[in-house]
Amino acid sequence: MDLHGLLTGFQVAFSLQGLLFVFIGVVVGTFIGMMPGLGPIAAISVMIPITYGMNPAIALLLMAGVYYGSAYGGASASILLNAPGTSEAVATTFDGYPMAQQGRAGKALAIAALSSFVGGTVGVILMTFFAPLLARVAVVFGPAEYFALMLLGLTAITSLTDGSTIKALISATLGFIFATVGIDGQTGTARFTFGDAHLLEGFQFLTIALGIFALAEVTSLIFKRKEKLRAGNIGSLRLTKKDFKEIWGTQGRQSILGFLIGVLPGAGGSISTLISYTMEKKMAKHPEKFGKGEPKGVAAPETSNNAANTGAFIPLLSLGIPGSGTTAVMLGALIVLGIQPGPTMVTDHPDVFWGVIASMYIGNIMLLIINLPFIPYVAKVLRIPRPMLISLIIVFCMTGVYATKFTSFALFALIGFGVFGYLMRRLHFPAGPFILAFVLGGMMEQDLRKALTISNGSLKIFLDSPIALVIIIAAFLAFLIPILQNVIGKKKQNQGISV
Amino acid sequence: MFNTAHKKVSLFLILISIFYVILAINLPTYPYIPVDSEVVPVGLGVVLFGLSAALYFIKDEEKENHKTAKKEWAVVLTVLIFVLLYIVFLDVLGFLLVTLLFLFFCTWFLGYKHFVANAIVSVVVSCGLYFLFTQFLKVTLPQGILPF
Repeated sequence: MDLHGLLTGFQVAFSLQGLLFVFIGVVVGTFIGMMPGLGPIAAISVMIPITYGMNPAIALLLMAGVYYGSAYGGASASILLNAPGTSEAVATTFDGYPMAQQGRAGKALAIAALSSFVGGTVGVILMTFFAPLLARVAVVFGPAEYFALMLLGLTAITSLTDGSTIKALISATLGFIFATVGIDGQTGTARFTFGDAHLLEGFQFLTIALGIFALAEVTSLIFKRKEKLRAGNIGSLRLTKKDFKEIWGTQGRQSILGFLIGVLPGAGGSISTLISYTMEKKMAKHPEKFGKGEPKGVAAPETSNNAANTGAFIPLLSLGIPGSGTTAVMLGALIVLGIQPGPTMVTDHPDVFWGVIASMYIGNIMLLIINLPFIPYVAKVLRIPRPMLISLIIVFCMTGVYATKFTSFALFALIGFGVFGYLMRRLHFPAGPFILAFVLGGMMEQDLRKALTISNGSLKIFLDSPIALVIIIAAFLAFLIPILQNVIGKKKQNQGISV
Repeated sequence: MFNTAHKKVSLFLILISIFYVILAINLPTYPYIPVDSEVVPVGLGVVLFGLSAALYFIKDEEKENHKTAKKEWAVVLTVLIFVLLYIVFLDVLGFLLVTLLFLFFCTWFLGYKHFVANAIVSVVVSCGLYFLFTQFLKVTLPQGILPF
């Protein structure tokens, strides 16, 4: 580790100009991240033209601020409006939105900010020391290992439901089925498109997520539109010592886990948030509190998300391989600045490499300092009178979908998913497994078939890879154990009653 | 009421799964790959069939105890019609006008009586969103009949 390089990086970062640009980045990033459909990718893309001609080190500070800011903005939308804008923000809705409904929005947002900070900082520390080593591990993961990892993520389904397991499984299967619509990645066959050109790309995550989460919630709000929100419904921002004690363990564990998952190209926040949430739920003394406004349920995915975003920089900087859409845009930004990430970056441009790392430290701190005071204002969104809030959320969602797809078809699909989402609620089919299976299912199918193509149809490829095998076994255990516990628990209950 | 509701759902899902499997089996085949594009869909269809059948037989423990008044459904349906009109007229009248009209009328319809505040918010939000997306983010939104 090059201490001199790191210190030089910090020197630039702590200059007045540096701090100013990080500040701008965080504010703009948070604002853009709050709009559904716009996340880190849109925020960074918007910033690239602004950085033409800027000093690369300062430009990187701006980018780091935007990156973290937009991740946090997405969390705000999840907590306040149940409108996750990116797949990484979905897990935050599970406990974040209930907390807001219970008048604890301020606390939820504060926990999200703090957890993001911890996740990002731990991630940067790990990155500083382990970047070259982890880069070598990252390339060991092939389709078989990715399939196994996603299978593990999918087992979160059984943990995401308190009600009927069968209904959760049906939701998941339906989600997976929706993921099969579109042109098949392996063969180019158009599947289930009914000849409609609009469906060739398949359904978009945003359309489904906004439909089944936000619009379904809007429909419930319409029924409750005459209810007045209680005053003081934002709750105090202050996290008591008790709160800290509750969540610091979560934050510690999930930042490491999130980071490790983020290091793998292609695996990022969407998987890490779900695995982290599930893991915390299983480890908790009161798992039944999850999904009803448990602070750990917000801390886990938020920590994991930021740690994963940080981990994603390792393959980018060390190998020049962008692991996700967001890192691909960052790659573009670095190239525009005249920097070519890759194995030679540390030797040819050490000041840039350490500058990136230093800017990430600063970006994280700035995020916390700036966002905490703004939380009361952001949370004021909940005070908007219900009729107006309903109309605004609808417009918000439609604008978000239109801005990404530009077709009326997508808007009709959004409404369709809204209706579907509401039906699911009424019939007690959980929405979490649906969206989970949609996101992971599509990727899993492609990886499974890639793995089988490599092995010429033989399933032995999963047995040959120790990593894949271990993860698959863990996945099966994670899947079966809650079901068995459920069944045994019910049997004991029934026996208790009949005796 | 509850038992028949979830039995109806399970029958519906069984039909969907059969339909899906039939569509999947009819997908064109591709000769050069060990696992073709219909394998996973057929598998999913079968799993869905099995789960839906299981759903039919399990005892429904959910308590469905809220009956919503017909009047409330009318409200939801009206909002839905407003939304569909929004989508239909979006390309015709342009984003700014359609959003403005929708925000104003939907808010007013749902019971917000403060005419002036409603108008101000509708104008500010629609103009704000329009200019944010078209000028700052360079995302094209339908211009419709307006000159800008």
